[in-house]
Amino acid sequence: MFKKILFATSATEACDHAARVAFDMAQRYNAHIDVFHVLGIPSRGYSQVVVDVKTGDEVALDDNYRDLVKEEIRTYYDHQIAKTKNWSIDVAIGLPHREILRIARLMKPDMIVMGGSTGASGSYAHKKIVTGSTFQRVAKAAHCPVLVINRPAGSFWGGFSNVVFGTDFSNAADTAFEFAFKLVKELNCDFHIFHALDITGFQMNNLHTQDYIEDQIQKAGRQLRFKYISKMENFKDYAMEVWEGIPFVEIVKYAREKHADLIVMAYNTKKTDEKDASIGSVAEQVILRANCPVISINRSVGK
Amino acid sequence: MPEGTLCNKSPIQTDETLKTLLSDTGGKQYYDEMKSLEVDIPLLWTTIQKTCKSRIRTWLKICAHCGMCADSCFLYRINDQDPKQVPAYKIQSTLGEIIRKKGKVDNAFMHMAMETAWAKCTCCNRCGLYCPHGIDMGIMFGYLRGLLYQQGFVPWELKIGAGMHRVYQAQMDVTDEDFVETFIWMAEEYEEDYPGLKVPVDKVGADIMYTVNAREVKHYPEDLAEAAILFHLAGENWTITSRGWEQTSLAMFAGDWEACKIQVESVYEAMERLKPKRMVGTECGHAHRATVVEGPYWAGRKDGLPPAESIHYVEWLAEALRTGKLKIDPKKRIKEPVTLQDSCNYVRNHGLKEITREIMSYIVEPGYFIDMSPNREHNYCCGGGGGFNGIGLYREQRNKALLTKRDQILNTGAKLVLAPCHNCWDAIRDLEEEYRIGIRWSFLKPLLIDMLEIPEHLKAQE
Repeated sequence: MFKKILFATSATEACDHAARVAFDMAQRYNAHIDVFHVLGIPSRGYSQVVVDVKTGDEVALDDNYRDLVKEEIRTYYDHQIAKTKNWSIDVAIGLPHREILRIARLMKPDMIVMGGSTGASGSYAHKKIVTGSTFQRVAKAAHCPVLVINRPAGSFWGGFSNVVFGTDFSNAADTAFEFAFKLVKELNCDFHIFHALDITGFQMNNLHTQDYIEDQIQKAGRQLRFKYISKMENFKDYAMEVWEGIPFVEIVKYAREKHADLIVMAYNTKKTDEKDASIGSVAEQVILRANCPVISINRSVGK
Repeated sequence: MPEGTLCNKSPIQTDETLKTLLSDTGGKQYYDEMKSLEVDIPLLWTTIQKTCKSRIRTWLKICAHCGMCADSCFLYRINDQDPKQVPAYKIQSTLGEIIRKKGKVDNAFMHMAMETAWAKCTCCNRCGLYCPHGIDMGIMFGYLRGLLYQQGFVPWELKIGAGMHRVYQAQMDVTDEDFVETFIWMAEEYEEDYPGLKVPVDKVGADIMYTVNAREVKHYPEDLAEAAILFHLAGENWTITSRGWEQTSLAMFAGDWEACKIQVESVYEAMERLKPKRMVGTECGHAHRATVVEGPYWAGRKDGLPPAESIHYVEWLAEALRTGKLKIDPKKRIKEPVTLQDSCNYVRNHGLKEITREIMSYIVEPGYFIDMSPNREHNYCCGGGGGFNGIGLYREQRNKALLTKRDQILNTGAKLVLAPCHNCWDAIRDLEEEYRIGIRWSFLKPLLIDMLEIPEHLKAQE
């Protein structure tokens, strides 16, 4: 299931938790891991100058500099690399999301693993022109699942055994289900299928009665069973639940209660600019808050 | 040492020599070798005799040294009105002197001429507008650059840039396959959002053949996607070409006349092959100048025109908005103070000043558009034109040159700057990075896409 992993990293602390998961997956599932780093943003017109994403300094790019950065990355992940059989390191220049998508198109990984927001990465001007985060843009367009670890993955002890799948019943959620089910089957995991009923309408003075809410919960439960049970054939290690509340909060709470070591969700946001994305995607909020890795899957995955 | 291994009079002809030159980080060895590069005086003088025609000779002769051009030059103004920055002085002390001396100039002189040609003039041609005799120093500096290039006195990045055009027929190492593959990739990436989005390749007889800037392919492919989306939404019958797709010309900035010809002929060959009704180029100023304005002369075309009618992106966009092919949702118009950068290469030098303002009238809520002062054909260069943006050797001078645009923008009070030109976009980006005045800047395409009313049959279905 995981033969090729693309680990896109800023090679800073922000990606340390992601590195732990990425290398663990590579070692456990005997996968090839490509450690990929975008070292600079093109700058100064057509020149060979780039702005180093880590330092913000202007750098005259040449092969020596590329080799130096590769060596730096190798040293940074020295311990993990020593225990990994198949690995490679690639560096590129460009806008990080675009170069991650470019190499993903070329190497067709089974999974892209990324860290959370680095906050400090990128030059001043880069941050101003590229609205939205690298993750949002990669998650929107990648043709493979994207696994993000933003917070310390507290309940991740190595491997996956307890998976939460959050669904909103969209087309993208169908794709996400296919992936999640394949994963739990192959890795022999417990499978928690979950839907959060959005009752945030009360903030707009749209207050539902409790009867209505419970009615909706029943309805969603039926939908869960109708949509997914027939697809799981003889697989029995699953549970299904519907909770009401603010969807991202409920998913994070549910995952915590189930000691999930992985959440799988659809990524549904079309827009990637800041103002929409900050409230646009439940998946993004879950990624920011969950204490386990989150895999997001868009409509293009598998196409 | 008459000829260096990296710095010499031979143009880059192969990928191998290109890579060797690129590996000389920052041009260190290249500029070291340039210190010993001999001037081939007979070649210089013969070239002048063959190529310096009556227009330039007359201009040099009739200059009255009146100084009217001084204040027209933003580099003169920003450099404390240094007399050595007066356009007439700059050209007389370089090209004028070479001709007066019948080419008998030395290495030190050529170094001075190189700095003057690439760090004291962006070929913005504003001085030509103010000269009582109509003498255009920008044109003459373009010519001087050709003489300097032939002698090997050209900034490192531009020797590389011209070499790229010779080897790849593109300003960067982007192959024809890379170009087509990247464009198709982009259409694939966005086809879920825009059902039916396709990129026609090598379609014969299309209404539009679209040409680009290689940097879009290499670093900013979203620009290609945006172009495809806008043509798609406008219902255009369009195509890209798998050969001859690069509209820009760093060769023009470098003064590599032969490479200019090679480059533009590759685009004209595509026009002849695909027979489009029109060519539309991307949001780039110098690409338009190279392919539409000057290119026909480089290619020796008697009518002074490209093989197919060729227009700038802003002309197509204005037309699409005017005729209703693209419709703006009035609710989504820009509702914040916004200003516009006039690109010298298609505004001052090709008269498109009202077209961009027509676009503003469609996309900006009335009352929010603020023109810079001066504007239209009187506007100042962004500060990075003519190749200035990319030359490391003159970065300090370039950064100082950005001050004019910085102050023009600050005086508008706008925080959003529209720059439908790659070079201007780069310069404004850099000026924000250098001086941090708190602005945002954008091409037109990405803003337009978010403002459009999408016809029902083209909407994505969830």
